[in-house]
Amino acid sequence: MKNIIVGQYIPGKSFLYKMDPRSKILALFILMVSAFVFKDITHIIYMLLGVLVILKIGGIPIMRIARGLRPIMILLLFTFTFQVLFIKTGPVILDTVLTLTTINIGIMILAIVVWYYTRRYIKSKFFYMVLVIVGILTMLSLFTPGTVISSSNLTIYEDGLLGASFIMVRLIIIVTLSTILTLTTKPTDLNLGLERILKPLNLVKINSEEIALIISIALRYIPTLLDEANKIMLAQASRGVDFTEGKFKDKVMQIISLLVPMFIISFKRSDDLANAMEARSFVPGNKRTRIHILSWQSRDTLVIVFCLLVLTATVVVRVYL
Amino acid sequence: MNIIEITDLSFSYREDVDALHNVNLTIKKGEWISVLGHNGSGKSTLAKLIIGLLKADSGDIFVDGILLTEETVHEIRRKIGIVFQNPDNQFVGVTVEDDIAFGMENLNFDRLDMIKKIDEFSKKVNMNEYLKKEPHELSGGQKQRVAIAGILAMDTDIIIFDEATAMLDPKGRESIMEYIRELNKEGKTIITITHDMKEAVNSDRIIILKDGEVLAIGETNTILNDKETLNASNLELLLPLKLLYKLDEANIKNEKVKDILWQLSLNK
Repeated sequence: MKNIIVGQYIPGKSFLYKMDPRSKILALFILMVSAFVFKDITHIIYMLLGVLVILKIGGIPIMRIARGLRPIMILLLFTFTFQVLFIKTGPVILDTVLTLTTINIGIMILAIVVWYYTRRYIKSKFFYMVLVIVGILTMLSLFTPGTVISSSNLTIYEDGLLGASFIMVRLIIIVTLSTILTLTTKPTDLNLGLERILKPLNLVKINSEEIALIISIALRYIPTLLDEANKIMLAQASRGVDFTEGKFKDKVMQIISLLVPMFIISFKRSDDLANAMEARSFVPGNKRTRIHILSWQSRDTLVIVFCLLVLTATVVVRVYL
Repeated sequence: MNIIEITDLSFSYREDVDALHNVNLTIKKGEWISVLGHNGSGKSTLAKLIIGLLKADSGDIFVDGILLTEETVHEIRRKIGIVFQNPDNQFVGVTVEDDIAFGMENLNFDRLDMIKKIDEFSKKVNMNEYLKKEPHELSGGQKQRVAIAGILAMDTDIIIFDEATAMLDPKGRESIMEYIRELNKEGKTIITITHDMKEAVNSDRIIILKDGEVLAIGETNTILNDKETLNASNLELLLPLKLLYKLDEANIKNEKVKDILWQLSLNK
């Protein structure tokens, strides 16, 4: 759970912290649009450098962002692989024949057996990395002794590689930008900013204040519910449920044994909370005054103007270059 | 002057069982009344009916002279604050400050006024150093104190404590009881709902509910002296009170000992 840093504010003093949440959300939006306007790998790398500069000036440790990227690593690798394999234009970079031989199969089976029997004892990830590398090398058939069972061609084109890198950099930029927003803005301020930005939706009968209240209550109850889940897991574990081991079917049963009480408790909680809110004169849809106000400073205007300039520049680059 | 008048109040969750049956009760302004009873005796239901969270099947509730109806429920809620049992389930704000402000925001208080009141009442419940803290950083007792501050800020005349100390440790419990005593001295009308007799002995009057009906109602001293009623209520008696009854049964007439036990029963 510690890897998810969306919504984890770290205190600081840089200009990013002094900005109005509204301007931060708007800036994030404009920069994201810019990231989608770019079409060329070099331009988007310039943008990545720009984002790194923002990180540097904003005093946000890069390691913190890297930790935030970890959960989407699988997604990044997945998109990268697909792009590399399926874009078939441009000059060929790599052309190799993949062969499956009896020895390859033997090595794979051996690797799986080793993994199966050692996973309990060996905590070192390095060992498994070596295993994975051996596996990949085997697949790429850099050594192919033994009888060939089947073979196919692997061709990587320049456009595929560039396209894949482009999409990966774009995703990294987007995640980094949104992580900057959540790292430098308290959830309450973020929520308040969203509420004010969404205010025009009131014209189409969508109450932004209610949406904001729902988000704030959800945020407020995340730690409480995690705590609850933890307690239930301990209670189940003390009665012999093992959440780490077991077959797929057992795991599903274990998750159900966690989910059912969680749902019941949450419904009870929401009922109590609704009573408490009503008792304190809350009426959905009624006008409420607010304790927190936001103040838009000249620095916010400056940042928005700068972001708009970036967007204009990207459009110009896209259209004319 | 009666601030709450309840006449012939009945309510049922299911058709066959009455949760409350023909309850009559008047509460004077500035009075502290305890509603005692077992789980399922209908005491929390009574609280929810008074504040309009539940709608009575029959009977009337007048708060400060106003009959509780769907039209007047919001007006009445401005006069009554309630602290519920579970400290976590009534903490609406993301921080202590937000939570104290929640009720005032609903009542459209001016922002500067809110800031002043948050400062005043957080100090009153000794939570002024925790204003920026989030609920998961607070103990149960602290959360209940925040709930009290939120209600005080709304400036209601009546405060209901619906088993507000049931989920707290002894220290948290004692601190909440201390605030209740203080608030009552300051003129607030207090209704405490509890199954713990220890929490009722300091109140002016006690009403005992059993299976949805009023078993007894009277001055605290009178109720505590009424051995038959207390036994019939199946409530857990305080140890000094039990001893006092045993001394009576054994016909031991040491007035000094009895007096000490009586004082102990009254938590003095």
